[in-house]
Amino acid sequence: MRAKNWVKFFLVIVIIGVLTYLTFAGIPGVIPSVYDTRLGIDIRGGVYANLYPDLPEGEKPTADQLNSARSIIEKRLDNKSIFDRNITTEPENGRIIVEIPYKPGETDLNPQKAIEEIGKTALLTFQEVDEDKYNGFLADGTPNYEQTGRIVIEGKHVVEAKVGQNPQTSQIVVTLKLNEEGAKRFAEATERLVGQKIAIYMDDLLITAPTVNEKIPNGEAIITGQRTAKEAGDLADTINAGSLPFRMVSKDLNSITPLLGEGALRVTVTAGIVAFILICLFMIVNYRLPGLIANIALFGLIVATLFFISVFGITLTLPGIAGIILSIGMGVDANVVIFERIREEMKSGKTVAASIDSGFKRAFAAIVDGNVTTILTGIILYWFGTGPIKGFAITLVVGVVISFFTAVTATRTMLTAIAGLSFAKKPWLFRVKEVSK
Amino acid sequence: MIDFIGKRKYFFGLSIILILLGIVFLFINGLELDIQFQGGTLLKVEMPDDTFDADEIAVTVGNELNKAVTAQKMKTFNPDNAEEAIDMLMLKVSSKDALSDDEISQVINLLREKYNVKPDAQNQVQSVQPFIGQEMLKDGLLAAIISSVAIIFYVWWRYRIISGLSAAVMALVALFHDILIMFLIYPVFRIPVNESFIAAMLTILGYSVNDTIIVYDRIRENRKLYRKADLKELVNMSTTQTLSRSINTTITTLTSVVCVYIFASVNNIQSLKEFTFPLIIGLVSGSYSSIFIASPLWEMWQTYRAKKVVPGKAAKAR
Repeated sequence: MRAKNWVKFFLVIVIIGVLTYLTFAGIPGVIPSVYDTRLGIDIRGGVYANLYPDLPEGEKPTADQLNSARSIIEKRLDNKSIFDRNITTEPENGRIIVEIPYKPGETDLNPQKAIEEIGKTALLTFQEVDEDKYNGFLADGTPNYEQTGRIVIEGKHVVEAKVGQNPQTSQIVVTLKLNEEGAKRFAEATERLVGQKIAIYMDDLLITAPTVNEKIPNGEAIITGQRTAKEAGDLADTINAGSLPFRMVSKDLNSITPLLGEGALRVTVTAGIVAFILICLFMIVNYRLPGLIANIALFGLIVATLFFISVFGITLTLPGIAGIILSIGMGVDANVVIFERIREEMKSGKTVAASIDSGFKRAFAAIVDGNVTTILTGIILYWFGTGPIKGFAITLVVGVVISFFTAVTATRTMLTAIAGLSFAKKPWLFRVKEVSK
Repeated sequence: MIDFIGKRKYFFGLSIILILLGIVFLFINGLELDIQFQGGTLLKVEMPDDTFDADEIAVTVGNELNKAVTAQKMKTFNPDNAEEAIDMLMLKVSSKDALSDDEISQVINLLREKYNVKPDAQNQVQSVQPFIGQEMLKDGLLAAIISSVAIIFYVWWRYRIISGLSAAVMALVALFHDILIMFLIYPVFRIPVNESFIAAMLTILGYSVNDTIIVYDRIRENRKLYRKADLKELVNMSTTQTLSRSINTTITTLTSVVCVYIFASVNNIQSLKEFTFPLIIGLVSGSYSSIFIASPLWEMWQTYRAKKVVPGKAAKAR
């Protein structure tokens, strides 16, 4: 029995040790180290903007329109070589959230300008092509034709672009529906340009250049040559985006300098370390042997929380770090409840082992109830919160759930094992003065 | 055993005085809304040194934009060199005039031309339409209400043996007490209400109920152990037994938050300061209310009900 307890004791220590190693060193390619955690804009610096369509009061964009607007933004950011970004559409709020972190070494980051540009009304044009004038090739091998300015139709002529399937060949295609004027102009041009190409541009970026196979008289065209359904979907989104009648403007723009954020990160991490040391001292002074064990478990809690964050790639924000620090303080709560209980049991004359046993048992209900209410709040907070509040909710809930294992399971295992030793039987180690027998 | 119930009028009185005092401050100082709730534009620009005249810049920028602009000097911590602070200029434009993306670029260019702002100066921009904050506040309050309802049902069910509904309601009264006290700290110290108020409020929501539950749990347990004890004795005994736990947990939790607050204050990190200070108040209030408000109120309710139903028995219970 005693030997088994020791095995468990060392198992707990080994688990904490391995977690610590994995958290800080990581496994290249499998588990990222905590140093590589994605940091939020508030720490890294960068731009955070809520883009809303510039529509009259009370009008809301449809989910399709937002997806189209998003595809324009993606294209424009690609064009600016900004690949590290985070774009979220929120159809229920009718907005798009764009986050662009600051790139180290960038000197001319002009977030206002970047946001202003990506929100502009997209200019979609179908132009005639001069086959011999191009600069390089697109990814799919299409020559990157220069714009000729001979415009066949514009975005406003497009009613809808959709992904479809050719019933005969079951090939994935994009179907194009044009309005009356568009149909007329398209019929005229396609009659003239059979066998030639028509290039589709978003702003001044060539999207694709399909060849005209025949005259299209009724304004219903089919574009073939997409290799996958996703490619076809992207093309349809882009064309639809070009027919969007509005531009996107930022109504909530935050640009944070990396200088301030980095400073804040250092300060919060230092505060966290100091808080940890102070809490450890408090636990040892107050509870002695069990306090020492609770500190080992608390260290496990911190490491496990960090591990969770890096494994699941959660973006760490300042409120998120505040949440972790708060969970350090609250994480020992369960231990405080248990140890107070153990002390009471010892005072009533029970042996050390029996006191530990009943202390854990009796404190259990209160700990469960307390944690359940905090977790409930955290989940609801995550559900309704926006941006930084979500970050705080995640770390809080993760901290509470993990603390349940560290403060109860791990502490109990270690304490039971140690209590088996003869030196640990002294009430002094539990800060109990005398045992009334 | 400490007689919490006997002295409850002092405890209730202290809470009422504090709340009234807070309300007086609310009327005197008013409630300042941060840019997130009020809307408007906030620009923080890194300046080459601190010789600039903030008022003059406010006038120049105001004329350029034809809008009312206020300016203020501020310093911030430099992470690369702890000895040296960074001089910053803070420009504010009120909600009805929130700057467009064009206008923000215009201001930055003006500052570069006229006030030697470096092209790679570190700027911070926050430009918000008021409805964004309202949306945030609405979501936050909705989350608080739903959490409260969820907590009521949970406590009701878990503590049905000590008439769970009244226990749940009193836990909520204590909770509202804490949130109210925390909220009133904003006008007292003239802290602008911002998004972190919502986060702080929801943190206290979980914490305060957790604290109250520990006492309830003891009452539940003691009720089984001492069937003959009267309510007053039961509450006094249970609160006394859990007192050192309540104090110690408050100490550890406060330690962590106070650490962040002190570090944020020393390094002048406004956002963290504004988040942690109300949280500290809320944590203290949360422990106070779980000891001195929730269970004494629960006892009052129970005694009142017992008196109404069986007058004879209630007389004995007193």
